[in-house]
Amino acid sequence: MRLLLIEDDEILGEGLRDYLSADEHRVDWCRSLREVAAHRGEPYDALLVDWQLPDGSGLDWLRGRRSRGDATPALMLTARDLLTDRICGLDSGADDYLVKPFAPEELTARLRAVCRRSAGNASSRRRVGQVEIDLAARSAHLAGQRVELTAREWAILEALLLRAGRIVTKPDLERLILGFDAEWASNALEVHVAGLRRKLGREIVETIRGLGYRIGAQA
Amino acid sequence: MNKDLPSIRTRLAHALVGWSLLWSVAVSMAVWLAVQNEVDELLDDTLEAAAEVLSGPLSIQAQAESPPAGHDAGSEQASSLPSGRFAWQVVRYPASGKAQVLIKSPAAPTSALRGSPSPAFGDASGWRVFGISLADGSQWLYVAQSHEERHEAQLEVAFGAALATLAIALIAHLWLRARVRHELLPLQRLAQHLCAHDPASTGATLGKAERQELQPVHAAIDALAERLARRLAQERAFTSHAAHALRTPLAGIDAQLAVALRECPPELQPRLQRVRTAAGRLQRVVAALLTLFRSGAELQRQPLDLTALISRLPLDALTIDVQAPQAVSADADLLAAALLNLFDNSLRNGATRVQVSTPTATTVRLDDNGPGVSPERRRELQSAIAAHAYEGSTGLGLVLADLVARAHGGVLLIPDVSGGFAIELRLGPCGE
Repeated sequence: MRLLLIEDDEILGEGLRDYLSADEHRVDWCRSLREVAAHRGEPYDALLVDWQLPDGSGLDWLRGRRSRGDATPALMLTARDLLTDRICGLDSGADDYLVKPFAPEELTARLRAVCRRSAGNASSRRRVGQVEIDLAARSAHLAGQRVELTAREWAILEALLLRAGRIVTKPDLERLILGFDAEWASNALEVHVAGLRRKLGREIVETIRGLGYRIGAQA
Repeated sequence: MNKDLPSIRTRLAHALVGWSLLWSVAVSMAVWLAVQNEVDELLDDTLEAAAEVLSGPLSIQAQAESPPAGHDAGSEQASSLPSGRFAWQVVRYPASGKAQVLIKSPAAPTSALRGSPSPAFGDASGWRVFGISLADGSQWLYVAQSHEERHEAQLEVAFGAALATLAIALIAHLWLRARVRHELLPLQRLAQHLCAHDPASTGATLGKAERQELQPVHAAIDALAERLARRLAQERAFTSHAAHALRTPLAGIDAQLAVALRECPPELQPRLQRVRTAAGRLQRVVAALLTLFRSGAELQRQPLDLTALISRLPLDALTIDVQAPQAVSADADLLAAALLNLFDNSLRNGATRVQVSTPTATTVRLDDNGPGVSPERRRELQSAIAAHAYEGSTGLGLVLADLVARAHGGVLLIPDVSGGFAIELRLGPCGE
């Protein structure tokens, strides 16, 4: 998943970025709202937002994003643990609320949960034709046989599954799987999609000519 | 309520009883003194009036009969004359010789009340006498009333006055007592209002005083509440800042350790895991302390399975034997933090095994197999806990456990045991 992490604490921010990156997520880490402005328009699978930032309130930033119609799943990461704070955070557009200190393992579990709910699924398991995919276990099976995927292939599969039924444009898909400042060859995406089709079957990813890619999944 | 303290109502009631009795006696005395002369005059008036009434018929009778001296021959006729409450006699004074009683009422003495003609009032032995001359002036009518009877009349008047005063005093006492109770009601209402008064809530005041005398009390309480609210606001601000300052680095330490655990060589993993476990304990203690000190945060009291709670605590170096058949009503985080610190205490003091039991639903008892403490030290610790004099006397474990017990409305006790060290977390009434 491509994630936007907004956290001003260096030790926590770096730890979360490295932990999530090790889980094959692409993390853009911003230490302030000013830095976040540079990422405007970037597609993300989820937002991890600290409430208190040096140049403003993460909650206000999220509220503004929601008022513009943005529905990207968001988790508030904050030291404020009062019931009133939690209610305020959730009412302002956060999909979940995690009080510091928390274990990164819990953060990733909640991240998967909010993304599942956002995609309209209660389970981390998906079925596309003969292919069974478990997003939590990061495993894919074709006709009962486990299929090994590369990190890029998995990132493409996950990005499309989280937007199942919707067309994802090629530039958006590239940015979702690469991150903010990465670069790769112009045909790299097609190569990885071809790899996916070779391993999981042609029908796993549908190409919408001139628009992008789409995956149709069943829970 | 402390019954040993003096009660305003009782003291006023006692004062009222005393003053009522004193007032009754004083008023009775005053009445008696005031009416004594009046009663005398009144009785004299009636004596004089009776003499004038009797003088008419007795003059005629005295002229008709002239019995010998000391003779009582006319007593039959005399008895038919009105005498009322008086005695009377008609006396003749011969030119020479002793006074002769010509006629008298049955109650009158046989000897003449006066030895010589005596008009107007005078006192004879045991009698008050009024004399009046009859007809030609040779005979005298004496109408008399015994001193005893006059005293009796005076006493009756005084007794009646005292009785009336006492009745008035009693009625006044009962009325004043009811009035005192009524006037003290605003104090009761103030106490009830104070019970529900939360000075920490914005703009909370006691409102208008019901009595002028209560105005300074209201003003003082409102001023106190304002100071308290300011202090609470400062403490909340500090706690909020402390929460942020403590929680974020703790989360950072855990995240860094989680990454390091993934990246480090396998031989370093157990050591890093222990560091992460310790960081987890630190998180729990900090979270418990912040919960404890943060005003406005309420205890999340619930029935807890102690075995399950303790099984989640990181306790590698200590054997914990839980014998807790019943659930304990407590806040899970606070109790976990307190237990963790008490286990740390045991470990630091050389224990290898701790037995945890629940004598009641609100008591958790720990008995360890460490060297324990001397009876003097135990008393010293208990006194330090009771007096909140933690510094230099107790370790963090006991301080935290005591604060947790107090947060639950209970106390921390150090029972006397023959071996090892024991401690009881009494968590106060659970309200169920």
